[in-house]
Amino acid sequence: MAKILEGPAMKLFNKWGIPVPNYVVIMDPNRLEQLGEANKWLRESKLVVKAHEAIGGRFKLGLVKLGLNLEEAVAASREMIGREIGTAVIRQVIVAEMLEHDEEYYLCINGNRDGAEVLLSNRGGVDIEENWDTVRRLFIPIDENPSVERLTEFAGEAGFTGEIAERVGKIVSRLVLCFDNEDAQSIEINPLVIRKSDMRFAALDAVMNVDYDARFRHADWDFKPVSEIGRPFTEAELQIMEIDARIKGSVKFVEVPGGEIALLTAGGGASVFYSDAVVARGGTIANYAEYSGDPSDWAVEALTETVCALPNIKHIIVGGAIANFTDVKATFNGIINGFRESKSKGYLENVKIWVRRGGPNENQGLAAIRKLQDEGFDIHVYDRSMPMTDIVDLALNS
Amino acid sequence: MSILANRDTQVVIIGGVAGLNAARRMAQFDFLINRPLSVKAFVYPPEEGQQKEIYRGGELKNVPVYSSLEDALAENPGINTALIYIGANRAYQAAKEALEASSIKLVSMITEGVPEKDAKRLRKLAIEAGKLFNGPSSIGIMSAGECRLGVIGGEFKNLKLCNLYRSGSFGVITKSGGLSNEAMWLCAQNGNGITTAVAIGGDAYPGTDFVTYLEMFEKDPETKAVVIVGEVGGTLEDEAAEWLAAEKRRIRLVATIGGTCQEVLPQGMKFGHAGAKEGKKGVGSARAKMNALRDAGALVPDTFGGLSKCIKQVYEELLADGSIKPEPEIDEALLPELPLKVQEIMKQGEVIVEPLIRTTISDDRGEEPRYVGYAASELCEKGYGIEDVLSLLWSKKLPSREESEIIKRIIMISADHGPAVSGAFGAIIGACAGIDLPQAVSAGMTMIGPRFGGAVTNAGKYFKYGVKEYPNDIAGFLSWMKQNVGPVPGIGHRVKSVKNPDKRVKYLVDYVKNHTSLHTPCLDYALEVEKITTSKKDNLILNVDGTIGCILVDLDFPEQSLNGFFVLARTIGMIGHWIDQTTQGSKLIRLYDYLINYAVKEEREVPVKK
Repeated sequence: MAKILEGPAMKLFNKWGIPVPNYVVIMDPNRLEQLGEANKWLRESKLVVKAHEAIGGRFKLGLVKLGLNLEEAVAASREMIGREIGTAVIRQVIVAEMLEHDEEYYLCINGNRDGAEVLLSNRGGVDIEENWDTVRRLFIPIDENPSVERLTEFAGEAGFTGEIAERVGKIVSRLVLCFDNEDAQSIEINPLVIRKSDMRFAALDAVMNVDYDARFRHADWDFKPVSEIGRPFTEAELQIMEIDARIKGSVKFVEVPGGEIALLTAGGGASVFYSDAVVARGGTIANYAEYSGDPSDWAVEALTETVCALPNIKHIIVGGAIANFTDVKATFNGIINGFRESKSKGYLENVKIWVRRGGPNENQGLAAIRKLQDEGFDIHVYDRSMPMTDIVDLALNS
Repeated sequence: MSILANRDTQVVIIGGVAGLNAARRMAQFDFLINRPLSVKAFVYPPEEGQQKEIYRGGELKNVPVYSSLEDALAENPGINTALIYIGANRAYQAAKEALEASSIKLVSMITEGVPEKDAKRLRKLAIEAGKLFNGPSSIGIMSAGECRLGVIGGEFKNLKLCNLYRSGSFGVITKSGGLSNEAMWLCAQNGNGITTAVAIGGDAYPGTDFVTYLEMFEKDPETKAVVIVGEVGGTLEDEAAEWLAAEKRRIRLVATIGGTCQEVLPQGMKFGHAGAKEGKKGVGSARAKMNALRDAGALVPDTFGGLSKCIKQVYEELLADGSIKPEPEIDEALLPELPLKVQEIMKQGEVIVEPLIRTTISDDRGEEPRYVGYAASELCEKGYGIEDVLSLLWSKKLPSREESEIIKRIIMISADHGPAVSGAFGAIIGACAGIDLPQAVSAGMTMIGPRFGGAVTNAGKYFKYGVKEYPNDIAGFLSWMKQNVGPVPGIGHRVKSVKNPDKRVKYLVDYVKNHTSLHTPCLDYALEVEKITTSKKDNLILNVDGTIGCILVDLDFPEQSLNGFFVLARTIGMIGHWIDQTTQGSKLIRLYDYLINYAVKEEREVPVKK
């Protein structure tokens, strides 16, 4: 799953003939002035300026400015670029033509197990939730893209008529092509607008997710997926992501500010159950972390140090199921080194560590980590005979 | 009994090193339950034609690698299952070919990071062909006592701990690989173990679903209950609930669902498997799934921690109503142990292995090489030189400063003797033919023998013999030599004579006798011999080989080491000649016709072969 920003999405729309308004993405407000000299539409249209970053609720934060002329757009970008929102800094803005239009439609395509589903309504815009009963759905089995005729018919079912129905059918057809060929997971266009005087359509706002695992067959994907957690990634998260991209197996890390229980858990499945156990017992998690697929010990060590550096934590849960092939001795070696390093940097004061794990070389791994007791760590080590998530109960009852 | 895989299952593994590791784990299971190797072939074009070594217990088996699935199946018609271990960008094509092969019924894919579209297409293909596509991202399938597909079940010890050598009564279906192992362990701890455990993978669109396998378990009489480990996202758990509620089912269902934590986490925050994402308006939430399964009649603990109790409860109820009989205790000692590697047993002191070779001079098992016990770096630090290392390795002694000096000088004056001699000439011809340094120097080295440089050992040997057997009786020695050996090694020179002495010999004798305190009985004896032989013929002088041989004997080097000095010294020279020739870019040498006397037969016709 990978959400992409509007700029790259627009580029892909253009590629597949889905109408988009004129737009530019800029990092330097002075560049916008020069672009204005080169492009008539920037001088003559009403413009919208939006922060081009993965930040939720941009409207409320004043990061979307509407109905501007070029001069105002330059001023708005000057104001936005460099602004700090939480831990993020706005580096880019997208400046687009605000197409004067007569009607707003809703068009969306979502992947599902058997193919995809197209959703279409002639009552799009900000009120789409209220008009949800007007949405018509069309299932598209995988590898069976419907004809333009069928899609025009579908537009008719959604209440479009005449030439507009034909044009909408064509746009849906291109959307399906774009979805299929670009390994998209979902594309939501809201609103798709029309200016009837010249029958001009444009996707004014769009959210697109692509399958980043498919990037090996998309030479023109020049973007990176953006954060989907409603805020930009933190420094620590980016650092672990960078390690994750380089190693066999994986390491993952997401911060949850304010929590007291830090997770240093193994396995994509087990790690979620550990989070559940903390929440179920009334605890608060300080992070999500996971390592799996027998990653190198240095990667686990880096993850450990990141977890140890979380502020105000009281417990660290070093949990995991009985591994199939992740070597417990080797990965624990990384964890042990990470703990030692963190302690020498002054972390882990008054932090209790709880360990439960099984798998290849479990005896050696558990014996090695147990030895940290002798070095003054407040560490409690259990083997497979301790039910998997019960160390969470022990931690919270301690 | 089991589902998906049994004792008749035969496997082809498509992929490289990860596939080989899986095959080795699978062979451990084959050994545990005493069945023939389940992996029959590998498909991996880069290693076509190789045989992969796989131990089934103590037995070494060789499994062939093919470049195409077609070839693998043609030679192994019994194969009915394919495991995909190849990279994500080639996994689709590999799985497609496997699904299209008529003899293959099950394709399981371990590859992670496979594009969703590829997985969806493979699922469709499998359904159309009436086959099963399990995965992607599946750790594998385990049928207790029957067959292991992939590394599921972990290390050998764990296979026993989870009772996987014999069938139990619980089926297991999970998304996660690690939790499939945990669930098998819980079924062994709280029940009587599993029939089959299958991991379907945590991707958004797995090729199979819970219901597919629930149907199979329902039809498998040995499976009495199924444990599902599900998670937030998707609809597979809801479909399982619908299936359970649809009609009366024979099997009991226990289910645990991960992801309730997402209720309290910031919106949009997701983690875990790719498929573990909640849709809009709570669709696919863990809580909704748990409720659906409970309503359908499944036993659903609030948390994973409650799973043990649920399994135990079901097991006890099944025992009570007679559906299953208590499992007779198996004596763990009767189960086979994986043979240990020799190193491991030796560490435990339970086996003696006769060494193949014995060394008395050096050891590099520590942090650095040690020569007869002395660390190389310490020798350097304390001012020892190459001649001391030579002495340690050749005669196991640290020479005195004086002795070292003699050794050094012997090597210095023997290092080269111009390009005309056999050794240097051989190396030069090699260099001119464009061959590399080690080969060209070896070519020169092969010249060392009875006529070139090889007399040092024999000279030392026989003069030493003379000192011992014929002291003060040179005539006796010479007549013994005449009778038993022939010309005295180390005596005589092609061009040098009493009037035209060999300067090297003069220098060495003078240095050793007048500038060192070395006791030289052997050299003295040889000089006495020389007096007699030169009185017979002018050129029967003590030559350089003889001189060196005697000095080295006087230095107490072992007889068989003596030629080594010439070999070592001349190597320096021959390397020099090779470097010299190649630096100059010398051309290939070919003898001119006029340098050869063609003493051959006249041209004539070849007779008809009889």
